[in-house]
Amino acid sequence: MTDDIEGVVKDFVLKEFLPGEDPHELTDSTPLITGGVLDSIATLKVVMFIEERFGITLQAHEVDSEHLDTIAQIAQLVRAKKS
Amino acid sequence: MTAAVFGKTNGTIPRKELVQGGIGIKSYVLILVQLGLLTLLLRQFQIESAAFIRLALLAFCGFAVHALLPMRYRLPFFVALSLAGIVLVLDIVNSVWIVGIGLVLIGICHLPVSFRIRGLLLLIVGSLLVALRAKWVEAPALDAIWPILGSMFMFRLIVYFYDLRHDKAPVSPVRTLAYFFMLPNACFPLFPVVDYKAFRRNYYDDDAYRTYQVGVDWMLRGVVHLILYRYIYYHMTLAPSEVTGPAQLLQYLVANFLLYLRVSGLFHLIVGMLYLFGFRLPETHNRYLLASSFTDFWRRINIYWKEFMQRIFYYPMVFRFRKLGTTKAMVLATMLVFALTWFLHAYQWFWLRGTVLLVWQDVLFWVVLGLVVVANSLYEIKYGRERSLGKSGQTWRNLGMVTLKTFATFWFICVLWSFWTADSLSNWLSLWSALGGQYTVDALICPAIILAVILAGSVEGKGLRNTRASTQDEGSWRRTRLVTVVSLLALIAVSVESVHQQFGAKLATTIHSLRSGHLSRLDTAKLERGYYENLLSVDRFNSQLWEVYTKKPANWLDVQNAGLKRFTGDFAQTELVPSFVSQTPYGTLSVNRWGMRDQDHELIPPANTYRIALLGASSVMGWGVGDGETFEALVESRLNRERATAADTSYEMLNFAVPGYQPPQQLAALDKALTFSPNAVIYVATGRELSRAMSYLVEVVHKKIEIPYEPLRDIVRKAGLDPSMDEATSLRRLEPFSIEILSSTYRRIVEQAQAHGAVAVFVFLPQVREGTWQEETPETLRIAESAGFATIDMSDVYKGQDIATIRLAEWDDHPNRRGHELIASRLYDELQKKRETILKPASHAPKN
Repeated sequence: MTDDIEGVVKDFVLKEFLPGEDPHELTDSTPLITGGVLDSIATLKVVMFIEERFGITLQAHEVDSEHLDTIAQIAQLVRAKKS
Repeated sequence: MTAAVFGKTNGTIPRKELVQGGIGIKSYVLILVQLGLLTLLLRQFQIESAAFIRLALLAFCGFAVHALLPMRYRLPFFVALSLAGIVLVLDIVNSVWIVGIGLVLIGICHLPVSFRIRGLLLLIVGSLLVALRAKWVEAPALDAIWPILGSMFMFRLIVYFYDLRHDKAPVSPVRTLAYFFMLPNACFPLFPVVDYKAFRRNYYDDDAYRTYQVGVDWMLRGVVHLILYRYIYYHMTLAPSEVTGPAQLLQYLVANFLLYLRVSGLFHLIVGMLYLFGFRLPETHNRYLLASSFTDFWRRINIYWKEFMQRIFYYPMVFRFRKLGTTKAMVLATMLVFALTWFLHAYQWFWLRGTVLLVWQDVLFWVVLGLVVVANSLYEIKYGRERSLGKSGQTWRNLGMVTLKTFATFWFICVLWSFWTADSLSNWLSLWSALGGQYTVDALICPAIILAVILAGSVEGKGLRNTRASTQDEGSWRRTRLVTVVSLLALIAVSVESVHQQFGAKLATTIHSLRSGHLSRLDTAKLERGYYENLLSVDRFNSQLWEVYTKKPANWLDVQNAGLKRFTGDFAQTELVPSFVSQTPYGTLSVNRWGMRDQDHELIPPANTYRIALLGASSVMGWGVGDGETFEALVESRLNRERATAADTSYEMLNFAVPGYQPPQQLAALDKALTFSPNAVIYVATGRELSRAMSYLVEVVHKKIEIPYEPLRDIVRKAGLDPSMDEATSLRRLEPFSIEILSSTYRRIVEQAQAHGAVAVFVFLPQVREGTWQEETPETLRIAESAGFATIDMSDVYKGQDIATIRLAEWDDHPNRRGHELIASRLYDELQKKRETILKPASHAPKN
């Protein structure tokens, strides 16, 4: 299950925002927001995706680089919400 | 020192091997050497203010200690250093006020009551501060602290309170103090909106040496931006009236936008300095000239602002409107964010300046930018946008497309920026008439340079932004080091006079001009006019003139002396109010019964009296000095004391100067002066006579004021001026007649004086200013001589003097008491040299 969240999010990010990129280049610690991959529109798409996919609800103040900057952080947030 | 401080941290560093805050001895020395070079560079180019250079020295010396301290002492040391910085830049009393008010605001955030009540209390205290700032309640003790207090709390308090409300991370009092009073802030009213979470989270989260080194790199980048800014500001900016063809139009548009380099330069300096203390903050700007779309531009320019708006307003609004559908919510939230940006821009202006900024250009600028960003966002929602991890290869086609899109975006932003910063809509519209001008090869220079820069800049770099420096490979890291050190050395070398003199006179002069910060010729002209006008063009945050105005107290002399002048309804428009008396901090300002700032005089000169009438503007009237301290009074007194020509002759100098008078208005002053039967008329010019005479004619035509002087009426006719014409067009039309306007004005003064038996004398007296723009002076002197004046050139009267000690204030470059003494001494000597022609014996009888 642990790997699933990271994997699912990574697949989504690759497919939605980085088509054609080498999947190995996107690691769990790649900075997505501060690195410029996810802008506000893309960040909201990720939010909608994880809310729908994992059945959780995010608060507006959680939408920031502290919680969503890397795949690892996203997975951690999802786990915290689900537990 | 301990191993924890001098950890082994060189090379490409796996994170687990990092020692928090540790630095090798070689790396430590290397950083200190670069900071030494940077200090030299700041001094050589006089970057920003003397206060900033002192603050930078404090920061660099502080770094030397801070980097060696055990981790637990570093943040308290940073707070102590920051507070010392505030005292260094302001003074102890002002610092106590800032820290005191700041502690009250922070204290409210932590009261043991609900957030709602805390928010309410903040609003109440904020309202009280608004009342004080707006001068509804008098608090003169606080006058000096508002811009800095405002820049510390106006946005950061919002971020802090928001995070306090939502963040579960424990709060440390020392970190809070570090956040609000952070070191470089004392020097910069315009400060990036640092995010509290980033400030807290990224503290020493990477190799210390590399973090410090990035700080040095960014500060250097900031200095380069500021030097480029000076080049643009001094040598490329044009007034709308100077835009006569396509080449000038393009130069105007580009130069106007590139003035923003000042903001990006300052922000790099500020954040780079914070890196020296372990705060690894995100970049403040990301190559904003290379934005390839409007959304891209918004994301790249002033990133901290965008992040602030996004976190505090955009996301909460999107979540609130989600029930409308995500796309609608995004569009609505984006438009509201731009509306709020406008409002907060005015809010910022209020805290920094104390007045409300409501300029419709601001509203329209943010509306248009908001609309194009929304349109762009909708496109991106539908079609997506290209993103990359920076490792994939870039094709030529892709490079070409990005370059073209960036080129188009750049020009659109330039046009929008020109609209935002224009004095008026009519001036902005008149710019476009230049498209009907002559198309020369010059018109291609600007676009060609921009295209080349964009093409080079669009070549995709490797890697993502804001990654930790420790992840950079060794080879690339060493190359970056080399670039930094070589750039530092090269810039220092170029700044040395004996070096840049080798590059030829023209280039050497240009480099020399970049070595100090002063007002450009255009802003100097605006400042001269600004004493008496409420210039909206000053209301721009990246303007150096705006900065000067920020320091000007709201109750400066122009306010205290309200009532000094009255309207006349004729060509002169204004005159001094007879018998007006005002007490100012600089002494009493009294106007006699005839409307002269002078002691009382009879209409008919007493026997054996040699009478001199003095014409001029504010410096001659004695703006900022008390009665009896004007150079006119001092010269008069010395002439009588020393009986310069004949023992039985008395001297009277009659001061007919009126603040704000332009050359053509002196014709009216002359008519009045001649009724007092002077033996000599001294006309004092303070610079920029040609353009000021032109501007005045445009003004009277616009106001439909009758011009009583036929030669000037004739020029207006020939130029085809019309009251409905915008200012820039009118000035363009008058430009070919500028010499004729001044010549005919001067000729009339000489002819009228001589017709009344008086000697006409022309004195050139510059404003008290550093880096004066005297491009019109030689021509003015030539015209004065041709008109028949006996001329006295006092251009160098302030030479060798410390300008700060002889001018009234930084925002008011009139001579102070010492300045007047200096002028009086020089004028007396000059009159002595020409006593045979000017100081004739009193037996000389003027004709009435």
